[in-house]
Amino acid sequence: MSDCASILSLPAGALPVQHHRGAEALHLRRMRGEASDEELMLRYGKGDAGAFEALYRRHRLPLYGFLLRQVGNADTASELFQDLWMRVVNSRGRYEARAKFTSWVYAIAHNRLMDFYRANGRASFLGHEESESVLEDLPAVEIAPDLRLDRQRAMERLYAALAQLPGAQREAFLLQQEGELSLEEIAEATGVSRETAKSRLRYAVAKLRASLVGRES
Amino acid sequence: MIEPRDEELSRIYRDAQAPVPPQRVDDNILAASRRVAGVGPRSARSGFARRWGTPVALAATVVVTFTLTLVAFEQRTGMDTAMSEAPVANRASNVLSVEPKLADRLESLSPAELQPAAPTPTRPAVAARRDRSEQRATGNAAPSVPLGTGRPDFVPEVPRTSEVLRKREEAKPAAAAAPATNLQSNEGSAVAQPAPLPEAPRSAETLRQMQRAPAAAAGSLRDSASTPQAADAVSGVASRLAAPEVKERTPEKWLEDIRRLKTEGKTAELERELNEFKKRYPDYRLPEDLR
Repeated sequence: MSDCASILSLPAGALPVQHHRGAEALHLRRMRGEASDEELMLRYGKGDAGAFEALYRRHRLPLYGFLLRQVGNADTASELFQDLWMRVVNSRGRYEARAKFTSWVYAIAHNRLMDFYRANGRASFLGHEESESVLEDLPAVEIAPDLRLDRQRAMERLYAALAQLPGAQREAFLLQQEGELSLEEIAEATGVSRETAKSRLRYAVAKLRASLVGRES
Repeated sequence: MIEPRDEELSRIYRDAQAPVPPQRVDDNILAASRRVAGVGPRSARSGFARRWGTPVALAATVVVTFTLTLVAFEQRTGMDTAMSEAPVANRASNVLSVEPKLADRLESLSPAELQPAAPTPTRPAVAARRDRSEQRATGNAAPSVPLGTGRPDFVPEVPRTSEVLRKREEAKPAAAAAPATNLQSNEGSAVAQPAPLPEAPRSAETLRQMQRAPAAAAGSLRDSASTPQAADAVSGVASRLAAPEVKERTPEKWLEDIRRLKTEGKTAELERELNEFKKRYPDYRLPEDLR
């Protein structure tokens, strides 16, 4: 977890970058009349390399961010990232637009991560669950007013707390933030029930908010 | 109560700069995607195209060149054929102009003499000929028969070399036959005009027949005469009609014929033949007995 923390904690002074994500990006694409992810993937399956490039541009940063914040190592994240996209490339002929492309591709990412954890003796990393009783103990807290004003510091605290989350909870939070997946899609991508996915998300949110309440010691 | 989605957390999370994958990873992925899709720089030409492109291009070039050469050759031979056929008509008129004696001789003949010698073509034959002429004029005719071939089943196409050569051989006698045909077909008017070219084969045949057996032809004409006078006239005409061979006879042969006329006492004919001979061979030194 220490390597995760070193990567996930942004260096001081790093400028935030505003880029379109999830629903916002989807809305913009619809406004511009651009093809959906599923259409692009189907076109790529028919040999349209340009469709793949468009798809790659859309999902390159969120997927890489998801993997990097999960494994905490740039080299490992790059390796997993490349392997993930190779699987997408090799699955072009078998792809069917039965589900959202994002659900499908993040499910691949999840499976690839599981393989990675198993290979490194960390199979229990994503299986960590907390009981509902623990969740009940987490209060709905307000973010400290000074952190609301100092967004840079709030961001640093958030990323430090994210690195400390259990793998399954962090994954659920990252799938929600990076992949813009719904509860059902998170459950499908990670192979758990909707309630489990919801529970993981609530734990993650509660712990992250808690990191933003008090003053730093 | 904690909700599974927290917009405030989301805003703070998204304030961070998104991590960017290394450029080499981007390149690897995009290159692989293009390679698999078959449009990448390396796979712009497929293995098949790379392997067979040059041989196929060379083969196509050879085939096209050979085809064009063949077409040009056949066109040229076709033109040669046309050019070789055109002189047939010219030769026909030339022969008449070079040998005015035939026309003169016909002019000198009376209709009575001409009548039995060469019967006027029957009405159906004339009509058929006129029909053919009209068809040619209106252009509605079946594929025109090439000059000198006379083959009704001829299909206009680019002739093959052997065929062209054969046609040339056929065209030669046809050319030679043209004046004789005129003499036969236009004897009533005694006007020497170039014969319709499609008639050439028949004319050639007639000429060949007459050349082979002028005596027989004359005999047949004589047999067709009903009176002794007519028989004499027919005899003269027949001998004169058989005379087209004079076109080919040598001056010595001609002089021998003239000498025979002298022996037979045909003075008028003798003088006419002599005059013609002098016109034809003005520099020829006549023998003493014919001067």
